[in-house]
Amino acid sequence: MTGLREKILTTASNLFQTQGINSTGVDTIVAVAGTTKMTLYKYFGSKEVLILEVLKQGHLDFQNWLNDKLSNNTKQPSEKLQKLFDYIEEWVTSPDFHGVGFIKASAEFPQEDNPVHQLSSQQSQQFKQYIHHLATEANIKDAEGLSLQLSLIFEGAVQAEQMKRGSGAIKYAKTAAKILIDGASKQ
Amino acid sequence: MHEDSDLLDSSWLIYMLAKSSNTPEGRLLSLFDILNDWLKAPNVLQHCHLSSANHALLLNYCIAQAQALGAENPEILAEHIVLIAHNAAQQNIAHPLSNSLMHAKKAANALILAQTQPAIAVTVKRANTKPIAYGIAATLVLAIGASLIWAPFMHEQQSAPQMHAEASNTHSSKHAVTPAQALTAQDATQMYAKFELMRQGSCQFPEVLQMPDKHKAIYLENVVGGKLPANLEDLAIANQYLAKIRCNYTPMLMAASK
Repeated sequence: MTGLREKILTTASNLFQTQGINSTGVDTIVAVAGTTKMTLYKYFGSKEVLILEVLKQGHLDFQNWLNDKLSNNTKQPSEKLQKLFDYIEEWVTSPDFHGVGFIKASAEFPQEDNPVHQLSSQQSQQFKQYIHHLATEANIKDAEGLSLQLSLIFEGAVQAEQMKRGSGAIKYAKTAAKILIDGASKQ
Repeated sequence: MHEDSDLLDSSWLIYMLAKSSNTPEGRLLSLFDILNDWLKAPNVLQHCHLSSANHALLLNYCIAQAQALGAENPEILAEHIVLIAHNAAQQNIAHPLSNSLMHAKKAANALILAQTQPAIAVTVKRANTKPIAYGIAATLVLAIGASLIWAPFMHEQQSAPQMHAEASNTHSSKHAVTPAQALTAQDATQMYAKFELMRQGSCQFPEVLQMPDKHKAIYLENVVGGKLPANLEDLAIANQYLAKIRCNYTPMLMAASK
């Protein structure tokens, strides 16, 4: 019955993205997925576990997509850092973009001891580490500093875009990222 | 600071920002210095909260500053800066040693540059990817120029090879050709890289009294003050003095490694 589990996961993911996590009840998820509460709880135990699974899957999908894009479209490892914000801009401006899971979840669950908040923070750190890895590959001396600067720019732009679609924040974020990368490359 | 006050949306913060600098850019960037400084103050961490990302008072103030500095889209610049400040302050509270607010300041500065120098992205790309093309173009221009200038202007012809040699470099050549030309992104990033390096060391600055009057102003504002020069002519002068500064980085590095 893996298919049913996947269907609940996909349905919940879509509803969380478009309506918000707290605003989406279990009743709505099972109704849209065409299943029952009993089945949902059989696979996920609770709504919180379902939220955590949606976040994990969403983050994995995002990382895999970005990794594939950068690996397939660059010849040198150093090019990946330069292209990072190009692909992020393409993704954020696409019609299907509804926000970044860990950024939205962090805002909806601000309490630090909440497991959803903790996973969101962990995923934010993982993304920063990914940029750190790209910066190291590009021989950036201060890879730690640059990865923090770029992740702050990324998260701020995505939050601005989530608040107002088509705001243009990501366009300026891309230019700012290039300025920072260029500056860090010369150090 | 009152209990449960929102540090990022307080009239106190606006007051602190207003007196922090006499330029809108300086006031925007001071936000990060003030937060970095204030979050270390006694009892502040226990009593301030940043639960909401909506800081209307601060946002409106930042929009006014962004408008004053001529940003392409002041609302987006202000919003992005406030979001970065909020996120970095949260990180600073969770991990006080992360230095997140100072990195956020760098990010905010890059965002300001991205909105105030529209040609910046193009300039960065071209400067990085097509130096040979620039060299060829400079050679062609000079060759045509040289063919137009004949014997009566022989001394000008003699200077052409020198200009050509300089054209293959970056801003020194631009200074020679068009003295009042605005700075490119590359100039700005190089300058900021120098300032950043200097901040990590203990530096000895040249004596101001020995400088010509025009140089004094540029030296104080652009070298000591860390503000970007307005044009390439000023940049060349600033670079001249930057080269004279002697820095010792060892003690600071040792301190940072503790």
